[in-house]
Parts: sequence; structure tokens; C-alpha cells
Amino acid sequence: MATISLHEADAAVGKRKNYLNQTTTIRSWLFTLDHKRIGLMYLAAGLTLFFIGGMLAEVIRTQLLVPTGLIFHGTGTIQSSYAAYKHYNQVFTLHGIIMVFMVLVPMIPGALGNFALPLMLGAKDVAFPRLNLLSFWLYISGAVLAVISTIMGAVDTGWTFYTPYSIDTSTYVVLMVSGIFLLGFSSIFTGLNFIVTIHKLRPFGMTWFRMPLFLWATYATAVIQVAATPVLGVTLLLLIVERVMGIGIFNPALGGNPVLFQHFFWFYSHPAVYIMILPAMGIISEIVPTFSRKHIFGYEFVAFSSLAIALIGFMVWGHHLFVNGQSAELDAIFSFLTFLVAVPSAVKVWNWLATMYKGAIKLDTPMLYALSFIILFTIGGLTGVVLGALAEDVVLHDTYFVVGHFHYVMFGGTIIAMLGGIHYWWPKMFGKMYNEFWARTACILLFIGVNLTFFPQLMVGAYGMPRRYASYLPKYQPYMVASTIGAYVQLVAFLIMASYLLHSLFRGKKAPVNPWGSGSLEWTTSSPPPTDNFDTIPVIGDHYDPYDYSHLQFDPAIGGYVHTEEHVGPHHVYHR
Amino acid sequence: MILSNLLQTHASLIGPLSKMAGDWWLPKGASTFSPEVRFLWILFFCITVFFTSLIVVLTVFFSIRYRRTENRQHADPSPDHNTPLEITWTVIPLIIVMVIFALGFKYYMNMNVPPTNTYNIGVKAQKWSWTFTYPNHAVSKTLYLPLNRAVKLSMTSADVLHGFWIPSLSIQKDVVPGRVMTIWLEPTRVGRYELQCAEYCGDGHSLMRSPVIVASPAKFAEYLKAAANIWVHNGKTLPLAQVGRELYSTYGCNGCHTADGSMGTGPTWKNLAGNQVQLANGQTVTADYAYLRQAILYPGRKLVKGYGNIMPDFYNDFAGPGHTRNRRLNAMIWYINSLSNKANSASQPKIPNIPGTKAMSAPAAGKAPAKTTAASGGAKSALPAATVAMGEKLYSTLGCNACHTNNGKPGAGPTWKNLAGYPQALTNGKTEVADYKYIRYMILHPDKKVVKGFAPIMPAIYGAQLGGAANQKKLDAIIWYINSLSDKRGPSTEPPTGK
Repeated sequence: MATISLHEADAAVGKRKNYLNQTTTIRSWLFTLDHKRIGLMYLAAGLTLFFIGGMLAEVIRTQLLVPTGLIFHGTGTIQSSYAAYKHYNQVFTLHGIIMVFMVLVPMIPGALGNFALPLMLGAKDVAFPRLNLLSFWLYISGAVLAVISTIMGAVDTGWTFYTPYSIDTSTYVVLMVSGIFLLGFSSIFTGLNFIVTIHKLRPFGMTWFRMPLFLWATYATAVIQVAATPVLGVTLLLLIVERVMGIGIFNPALGGNPVLFQHFFWFYSHPAVYIMILPAMGIISEIVPTFSRKHIFGYEFVAFSSLAIALIGFMVWGHHLFVNGQSAELDAIFSFLTFLVAVPSAVKVWNWLATMYKGAIKLDTPMLYALSFIILFTIGGLTGVVLGALAEDVVLHDTYFVVGHFHYVMFGGTIIAMLGGIHYWWPKMFGKMYNEFWARTACILLFIGVNLTFFPQLMVGAYGMPRRYASYLPKYQPYMVASTIGAYVQLVAFLIMASYLLHSLFRGKKAPVNPWGSGSLEWTTSSPPPTDNFDTIPVIGDHYDPYDYSHLQFDPAIGGYVHTEEHVGPHHVYHR
Repeated sequence: MILSNLLQTHASLIGPLSKMAGDWWLPKGASTFSPEVRFLWILFFCITVFFTSLIVVLTVFFSIRYRRTENRQHADPSPDHNTPLEITWTVIPLIIVMVIFALGFKYYMNMNVPPTNTYNIGVKAQKWSWTFTYPNHAVSKTLYLPLNRAVKLSMTSADVLHGFWIPSLSIQKDVVPGRVMTIWLEPTRVGRYELQCAEYCGDGHSLMRSPVIVASPAKFAEYLKAAANIWVHNGKTLPLAQVGRELYSTYGCNGCHTADGSMGTGPTWKNLAGNQVQLANGQTVTADYAYLRQAILYPGRKLVKGYGNIMPDFYNDFAGPGHTRNRRLNAMIWYINSLSNKANSASQPKIPNIPGTKAMSAPAAGKAPAKTTAASGGAKSALPAATVAMGEKLYSTLGCNACHTNNGKPGAGPTWKNLAGYPQALTNGKTEVADYKYIRYMILHPDKKVVKGFAPIMPAIYGAQLGGAANQKKLDAIIWYINSLSDKRGPSTEPPTGK
């Protein structure tokens, strides 16, 4: 086994073909069945959409610098204001649709899940590589339909498509909704693929409780994707049927019930929030132990809390309808369940903190993102608890407090964790390191920017400013200005990030096999991995534990972690 | 036990604690709900600050105290789980959230259960304005509220979802079309506040605001008196049918009953008066004055077949003591009569439509007062307003508006503005004048002839939806609507039916 030194092994790896340069034609990328390449394509497409959605957010924030609107405003008559604000409505609608359906939902499973999941399992690929490629192209098709709808005249319904407005409006709803319908199928297929992969492709010896927690989180997510997304598909189909054929389902003018739409919509869209946040929590559960060099605290509690969130998360959708005329009994039940789902999230936060206790903590960029996540997610979660209380929801519903809350969870939670994940797996994806100084700077700047953007929104919402307003009462202006400055700070952070990541791609230092000292399997193959992931299928012994760091030693010569000799044994195969 | 004790003892805390927050985030409340909402807010604030600080302090402390150094490469030994500890930190948040749940629910029930003997105000939401109706029948665009009096608001929407939201009065409820939504509140401080629409409703959403004035009872009465007079306009007494038409929208009847024969949550008023009505109990009755009166005052008694028993009771608005209420009821019934081709003396109110004249001055059968949409071209025949309105509705419900604009702007298909009567260049090289036959053909067979400059993308499904004798009325309504948009319409472009 150990006839070749680890230095030589690493040097040899550099000359070998890997999944990035195995084949080089465009066709070999577009029709690849390699989960890693599909993951990278998801990453590229998703980051592009994230950029577009982000620029739309900057437009929104710039508009709201002055009470009557800086970009879109009337020319004196009320009709001209209506016409101008319609464009603002289209902008925030598109921002929401892109961020929710094309970034938050598919990005972590599609990009990071696809890349890391088979590697963490020690598998060659996902269970259904062709289905995986179909998922990706459905994702692209959905995004393209959305783009066409936008070019033809956009949609002004808000990302929630509430009826009867979405039936009444003259904008291109049918086309946009068809796009989201396709995105839904993409999501279902990805979920299905991951469920089967985790069930069937675990290596010998990797029992459920020896899996890295990211896999537990991805599994819980996949269950929601498969079970909830069809409801969204059916709902959107019904919306199209009602709009095109005039059959009364949701429109009271045709004998339909608009509240029914809200129930259907949130039956998907609330669990969808957990599709967004669970994999993010999974990433944090990988990063915190790795950078603390300490076993995750309470593995079972963390794993089961993912499942608990996924299951209870199915039964809380009614909390979006507390002021919509749902009966008080239903309100009480949904409020109760909403509070229940807060508990497993709190459990995770305590477990991460306990993991850090007595650890050997290194504040590299992924860890900085993980700490940002814990703090921002705590604020996002606690403001969610406020909204779950019935009497309090009455005065906060549909205000900027809600906007602030879900941006703390979605941006401060999901996006920050996703960025943490990208920084964590970046060396494995591209075989390159990035500039640690600039990466930390961007992360800290982003943390400041997020708080500066969304905390004033919490305040102005409690003060009474409703959401989705193109213009507002002058007394809200100071909060709005602060929030906009925060959005510009974020923009600067993202520009820095784009620069050093691009620099890393072309000029980055070569990454070692295991730069962070993680114990899970993807860090045992070369960076970047070969097309088939592992030269030999890893065999897992009874002592395998992805959170055991005692056998990993930092080697300054290669800038990464290596297994100490006595641990390179039968229970943990080391690959060259 | 602990919970119920807590619920009882916290009452003494509400007062002092609720004064803590200034008027810069949670607004200084001005209703009886405000102190409770404020107390809960402060409680949350303390919990949030405590836990967030705890977590921030722990993260920072651990990051410094347990940092990795040259000499400290490995973690100190410590257990990787501790079940009692983990159960503890599961149960403590559970208890906290359950207390918060209980408080939130308790206060919420206060908001949901109005006291008896409330002062009732009607609220009507439509794109993008609010109207308020008071027991004395005053109608206003400003919401006036009497100080220290429990007020019940019954809210309807004429079109899409709206959200009734007054931050300072700590109350919010969505206004769902096709339903009557009710809330109550009791203002405790005189002042001027803002009502803002909270549920997104389209272009003018952010401008859908109304002033709210809480006034002392005397001042309040003054406001109402000023807003009450609707019978006279510019010194001229209005016909009752015209007042009725205003009331039709003021009271939100139009939220459920259409005036043009199209479908709604309730029966249409078009051709109702004087006609036969099938009831849910199997009987058939004639919609005479007595029936119409009863249907408005006691909606559930003689339910029309095919409709749910969902109409709110308008007894308080239209009956009981007071000359005005009766007069309003008559105005409404006069309006219903004006929409019917079978209106007759049995279906009309006993008091005359135009004050000072004898009864039977109502429009004769078949001559409903038509609203002319196309003002230009005095020589042209009048448009059938109801049919045009039906066509306009179909224009959006069938989705024609996705491609065809009605204002001359470019779209995926030809605009309907000035289409009827104008020559059209086709892709086959010919030019045809858009007369009735042409327009009909284009709707039913969109792929056969295509206008130059446009792609053959219009779905053929409209042929099935609008073709055949059964759909003749719908098709003609659309063509009437297209006619109403053109300044060159004439007998050759107008449908033979539908007038």
C-alpha cells in the first residue's frame, strides 16, 4: 500500500487526466452524463441567474431611495403613476421568480448536491445519470421560457401568482407559469435521483448513520421535492386552464375560490422553503466540524431534526393565510405547528455551537460563511417565530417585516450557506485554491451588507410599511435609504468575490487532495477528481466516521491534510 | 398550570412593558389591540435579543478561545453527544414557543370576536381605492371612526384581493373577492392615520391608501352628515335608478352580481326584474317588487337555484326605521328594473323614479339606458352597453388581451383599436375590409387568413370555444366590443344580434 509516498502521489495526480480535461468539446459538456460536469453547469447557469436576480434587486433598492420612486415614477397624473409602477411590479416579480424558482430551490441540490453527493458516497455517479441530464435541461428550458415571457412583456403578479389578479392581468402569465412548471419537473427528477442514489449506491459499510450529514439533509430535501412539487405543477396547470379556457377554479367571477389557490400554492411553497434551507443546513453541518476539527455534536439529533423539519414543514402552510379569512380554528392549528417546526431548527444551532466547543477552530472562508449563517439564520428564524404568533402576524403580515424575515432566512441562510459550500468544495471542483485574504474580506463585507440591507426592513415593516410598494409614505424613507446602502455594499462584496474566483480559475494555486482536513470521502480523491471519481471503489470499515479527524495531519509541504501512517489501514482506503 | 398562571399574571405587565418601544418601529398604537400586540412585541424583542446575543457571544468566544494554533492542532477531548443536554435544549425552546403560541392565540381571539352592539361600517375595496359606508348611509372615501366605540367593518372587494391594513390601529385583514370579510376594532386615541393596501393588487397597489380619522363622537357626527347626501347632484335631484347604480358599487353588490348578464358569485341583475326565477327549493317565482325586496333584505329565504347561501344580510342598510333606508332600497330596485327588458309596474317600486313625476316613468321594456362607450360619431347607432361590457370581459378572461391590445399599441397580434371597418392587408397578398363576416372568420379560423406582419400563432381553440349556435352570443359580444373600439364601425361591421 504505502510503497509510494504521499508527496509523489499528489505530484502524479497533477499530470493525470481529470473530469475537467478528459474531453474538451462543447458537446462533451452539454450532453455529459458526469454528475460533476452537470453540477458545474448548474453552478454556471445558477450563478448567471443569481446575477440577473441580484441586479434586479439593485434596481428595486434604487427605486425605493425616494418615496415616489427614483427610477419608475409618474409625470403628474395618477394614470402615469400607475403605468410607471407597473414596471416596478414587473421588476420585483421577476426578482422573486428568478431567486426562488431558479436559484434558491435548484442551486444547492443541482450544483453542490450533484457535485458532492456521489463523491461523498464513494460512488461513480448518481443512480440515473441520464435523468440527471434531463433535469438540467428542463431547468434551462424553464429559465428560457421565463426569459421569453420577460422579453414579450414580463409578468406583474408577484412570484406568488395570487388569483384572481393573475387571471385578470394582461401580462404574460401563461408563458411564465409554463416555465415554472418545467422547473418543477427538473426539481422532482433531481429529488428522485438523489433518493435512489442514497438508498442504493452507498458503499459497503456506510450505514445510514455513517453518512455525512449533508447527505441526510439532501435526502430530506429530496423527499420534499418529490412529494410537494407535483402540487405546484397541478396548481399552475389549473391556473393556465382557468386563464386560457375561462373555467372557474380560483376566480370568484367565474365561481372559483381565490383562497383555494393560496392553499394549493403554499402547500408547495412552504415546504419549498425547507427545500431551500435544509441542504444549506447540511453544508453547515459539514463545514463546522471540519474547521473545528471536532466530531459533530449529536449526530442523531442533527440527522433526525432534518427529517422532522421536512415532515412538520408539510403541515404549516396555513400560516401564510392568517389574515386571509381562514377559520380561527385552522389558524390556531397552523400557528401551533409552525412553532413546533421552529424547535428542530433551534436544535441544529445548539449542536453546531457545541461542536465548536473545545474544537481547534480555523477561520478559513468556508468557516466564516458558516458562522455568518448561524448568526443570520438565528435572526431569520426568531423573526419567523414572531410571525408565527397569531396576534403578531396580524400587524406584521404582508409588511416589510416579512420581507426582512425571509431575506434573513433565504439570503442570510441559504445563499450564505451556498457561498460557504462553493468556497468549501471549490478546490475539489477546480483543483485550484482562491485568495484567502480577499475571500475573507468579501465574506465579512457581505455579512455587513446583509445586515444593513435587511435589518432596516424588519424595522420599517414593524413600523407599518407594506411590501411590494413602488412608492411609500415619506416617514419610511430613512429605513429605505439605509437598506439601499446595504444592497450596494453587498454588490461590492459580490464584485470582489467574482474577481478572486475568476483569478483562482486561471491563476489559482494548485489545490491539494484535502485542503481543509475533512474526513468525508470526496476529500480522498484527487482535486479535481478523475471522471470516474475514484480509482478504486472505497471500502468502508466498521470504524469509518466522516467526522473523525484524529487520523488527519496537516502537511505544510503540500498545504493540505494527509492520513497519518497508522490509520492508512483496511478500514479507510486512501486513494492515489 | 404554569401556562394559565402566566396568562393571568402577565396582564399587569402589559401596561408598563408596552410603553417601552418608541414610535419609530412599532407605531404608537391607537386601538384596544395595540397594548397587547405591543406587549407581545417587546416580549419577542427581549427573547430575540437574548438568544441572538448568546449565540453571537458563543460563536465569537469559541472562535477565539478554541482557535487552532501551531501548538494546538487537534481538538480537546470532549464527548460527541450528550443526550440529557440535547433533550434540555430541545425542551426549553419548546416551552418558550408554546408560551408565545398561547399568548398569540389569546390576543388573536380578542381580535376575532367582536363585542355585541358594534357600530357597523361597510368597506369596499377596488383597484385602487377604498369606499366606506356608514349606518346613516353616508358614503366617504375617508374612513371616519368614532373614538372609544367598538366598530365592525364588513369588507368586500369588487375585483381582486386587497389587504385592509391600518398599522396604528393594529389591525389587518385581506379582502377576498366573492366574500364578506369582517373585522372589528375600537380606537382609543384621536388622530389621523393611514390605511394602506397590504395585499398586492396591481399597478396602483402602493397608491391604494386612504386617510383614517378617529374623531370624538360630536366631530364624527359632523363628518358623517357632510358625507350623507347622495340624492342631489349640482342642485338637481337625481333619478332613483341612477342613485341605485351608484349604490350598486358603493355597497359592493357588483362584487357578486353582474349587470351585464355574465356569470358571478350571485345571480346577474340583467333581465332579472319581471322575469321568472327558479328557486333552490324547486319553486318558480316571478321577480316582482316584493321578491326583489325580500331577496335584498333576507337573502337566504328564497335562494336561487345554483347559488350558495353566502350573501350578507343587507337588512341594516336598507330597512328598519328611517326614510333614507327605504329610499335606498327603492333606488336599488329601480336600478335592477332599469336593467331588465321585462320590467313592469309589478316589479317597480311604488315611488316614482324621477322625484315629482308619476310612477311608470321607468324606461320601457327593452330600452335599458345604454351607456355609450364610443362618444364620437354622433350619427352612429348606440352601442349595446351590456353586450360590449360582456365582450370586454371575455377579452380578458379568454386571454385575447395577451396578444391583442385595445389601445393601438403593438402586440403579438393586430390591435383591436380601429380594426372594425378598416382595410386589412393579408399575407396572401389580398386586402379585405374588417367587416362582421371578416372578424368572425378570423376568430373562428385564425390560421386560414393571417394579417401581414404577424405570425400564424393564434390558437385554433377559439374556434371550438366560440363557434356554433350555443356560443353565438359570446362571439357577437366580442365583436361588439371590437366595434366599440373603432371609429369606423357601422351596420356592416356590427353583429346582427346582441342589441
